[in-house]
Amino acid sequence: MGRAFRFAAEFVAAIIAGGLIGYGIDWLAGTTPWAMIVLLLLGFAAGVLNVMRAAAEMNSDVADSATTGSVPDDDDED
Amino acid sequence: MAGTDPIHQFNIIKYFTFATVGGDGTPGSGVELAFTNSALFMALVLALVSGYLILSTQGRGLVPGRLQLVSEMFYEFIANTVRSSAGTEGMRFFPFVFTLFAFLLVGNLFGIVPYFFTITSHVIIAAALALLVMAIVIVYGFMRNGFGFFKLFVPSGIPAPILVIVVPIEILSFISRPLSLSLRLFGNMLAGHIVLKVFAGFVVMLSGAGFLGIIGAILPLGMTIALTALELLVAALQAFVFTILTCVYLNDAIHPGH
Repeated sequence: MGRAFRFAAEFVAAIIAGGLIGYGIDWLAGTTPWAMIVLLLLGFAAGVLNVMRAAAEMNSDVADSATTGSVPDDDDED
Repeated sequence: MAGTDPIHQFNIIKYFTFATVGGDGTPGSGVELAFTNSALFMALVLALVSGYLILSTQGRGLVPGRLQLVSEMFYEFIANTVRSSAGTEGMRFFPFVFTLFAFLLVGNLFGIVPYFFTITSHVIIAAALALLVMAIVIVYGFMRNGFGFFKLFVPSGIPAPILVIVVPIEILSFISRPLSLSLRLFGNMLAGHIVLKVFAGFVVMLSGAGFLGIIGAILPLGMTIALTALELLVAALQAFVFTILTCVYLNDAIHPGH
């Protein structure tokens, strides 16, 4: 469940960020609604990128723990 | 139905007011700086964490006692997390990451205790912490790499025409980080506590409906117990997710350009 929620949050956050920034640019420059449309689409792409990164990260975490096994880390040199 | 209102638990109560900033002196104008129940529980969390750590490391035995062992496990756990996701160089951020994790973990777990206020269920707390993380990433990224920090937005090995599209996407992806970081923590805590309160409210309502109601109230009661266990998991997990993502973002500040 935590994993699914993470993907959802990553995806939605990028779209919200894109939409808000686009709305802000429109509000400043008076170009309603063009900047918002463009940035929403870019936000969509950024969301997909975020989800891909999160998935890659999780896969590498799983691979790491699979190769090192469940032996606890015993480095205490510092 | 004040007793079963699921949102009531998130009310901010002002205990006393320090000062009023701005405004023209009339009541209700300006920004009031008040000591609220949220501030009280933040102070309690800090007092508990620092009190425990100071107390448990008093002895400094070579063979740790039970209290000291917990502190050491806490340290080892965070140190390993920082090292594995931000490298040895990331250890300079260890105090920050450790504080963040301890604050979030204890703050989330405090929320489970009945009548305790859940500080992380307010988006302003989560957003302030996420913005602090991003501020550190940006400031340290520029301090360490100068303008090389912009390599974060320019993936290597991509032809120039495509960069026109990719760079804005990367920038948006970066901007969305504090948003997703704070929304996830706050959303999980808020939703979990509302669901818990709604099911607990069913118990109260059903048991008011006579003998059969009390028999029926066993079902939501079991659900409430199960949800409390789930909330314990979510509280620890969300604190850990926030911490590990902080480490990942700090790693970006140390080594930009993927």
